Amino acid sequence: MNKKIDFREVLQRSLVPIMFIVICAIGIPLSGLSVGYLANEIMTRMGRNIFLILSLLIPIMAGMGLNFGMTLGAMAGEIALILVCDWQIVGIPAMVLAAIISVPISIALGVFCGSILNQAKGREMITSYIMSFFINGIYQLVVLYMMGSIIPIRHGSIKLPRGYGIRNTVSLLSMRQKLDNLIPLTVGGVKIPVATFLVILVMCLFIVWFRRTKLGQDMRAVGQDMGVARDAGINVERTRIISIVISTVLAGFGMIIYLQNMGNIATYSSHSQIGMFCIAALLVGGASVDKASIGNVFLGVILFHTMFIVAPKAGATITGDSMIGEYFRVFVSYAVITIALVMYETSKRRKKKAAGRELQDLQGHGGDDLRTADLGTL
Amino acid sequence: MNKGRKWIFRIGALAIVLAVAAVMFVIGRGHTVYFDNRELAYNGKTVAAPYKIVVSVDGEQVAKLYDKERGMTDTMGQKFSMVVRITQEKGGEEKTSAVSMNLPYNMDGIILNIPAMMAGLPEEAYLTEFIQAPTEEPEEEPAEGEDDMMGEEELLTDV
Repeated sequence: MNKKIDFREVLQRSLVPIMFIVICAIGIPLSGLSVGYLANEIMTRMGRNIFLILSLLIPIMAGMGLNFGMTLGAMAGEIALILVCDWQIVGIPAMVLAAIISVPISIALGVFCGSILNQAKGREMITSYIMSFFINGIYQLVVLYMMGSIIPIRHGSIKLPRGYGIRNTVSLLSMRQKLDNLIPLTVGGVKIPVATFLVILVMCLFIVWFRRTKLGQDMRAVGQDMGVARDAGINVERTRIISIVISTVLAGFGMIIYLQNMGNIATYSSHSQIGMFCIAALLVGGASVDKASIGNVFLGVILFHTMFIVAPKAGATITGDSMIGEYFRVFVSYAVITIALVMYETSKRRKKKAAGRELQDLQGHGGDDLRTADLGTL
Repeated sequence: MNKGRKWIFRIGALAIVLAVAAVMFVIGRGHTVYFDNRELAYNGKTVAAPYKIVVSVDGEQVAKLYDKERGMTDTMGQKFSMVVRITQEKGGEEKTSAVSMNLPYNMDGIILNIPAMMAGLPEEAYLTEFIQAPTEEPEEEPAEGEDDMMGEEELLTDV
């Protein structure tokens, strides 16, 4: 089949990554950071963030857009890490145990979130965004009042001096970078977290495999057209809930990997912006609300975090104030989400308009042609 | 696959996950082991502190203790092995011994009195739990709503 490449569409899809490549190309020399430092930082951030961002792919596949509800999984991961810390489990076993503990919490939150999103079809993103605020309230109730009073917490280093509630910061020194340093490898002065990348590789293979399974195909069908999928006998609601549950569980694992790299939990804020930054990184990689790939994740992390690293230094060089660079990167994070959403909505409307025009033309040519028209695109 | 078999697989998978969690619970238990070089009196018997004790764990020296000194190391799991090199008197000969022991699961911090342990006293004599002295702390209020810097804090302080 000879498919014509629409350069305008390709350019439009790649607009955000191109914009970021330009920003990075200008920012890197201005920042004055060495190539070695940059490479080290990017490698660390790739290991830290990729797993979290990969958790966003499955809901996109199921047509549920960018899952701001991944924050729920992040909270589950944090609760699990707090418990594991209190039980004084250390190292890799602590991470494995935290991952196991986070699963039931993530599943419960995922089922709840998925059920709510089923009631808000077509408005999943804003619903999941607000949902993350709602669950954050419950998370605070659990962590601030129930831990130490109802849920036993023994250690004073974790508990607030008043006897219940968790401190602002919980140290994860006992598991800090244990996964990253499990297989030590340094190439040309750049430290590569081999074990973390192996975990990411397994995750990528899982996603590739999952897309080919019956459930994966069902999700794609649901993502393309819920009505057609339902007619084909797919339980649309159940499939959508499963996609959110998988995303939430993976986000929990991702948060554990993220926090082991950081070495501490900011109990009340670690999760709050995680969804926003992960989604921004994915969009920077060229993904859209309805289409995202593993390649987008890798490209997005590299570009977004290069911008994050160079912006303060470049800002300091240009304006003499590093805070300008800091404002810039925060502004860019939110702006990129806005641009991506506007672009998605514009292209959706354009497609709808074109389909309407096509239908009008077909009606002009007679009813027979209409019957043979591809109604799936309308 | 019939329903019965499906449930057997599900229960089996759950059992495996629970077993893994239980194993992690045991092998991942962290302890802080403190080494004391102090004189100890037990049941009317007094064990004197030697001039110097050097403790190595996993081939790495973790403590060099003179009289009334304390060292420490963090360890994972219940089995604890160390190499102890004791010099009884200044300028004297160094005696090396390898020691292996099981650490009690319920103790986070464990104090080992090395002279008593090397003198062959029972565990109740040389092993005690380390209990942190309570300290007065100002009330810490959780700061909710702080923006997460995605690990940028270090970067900002560098600037």
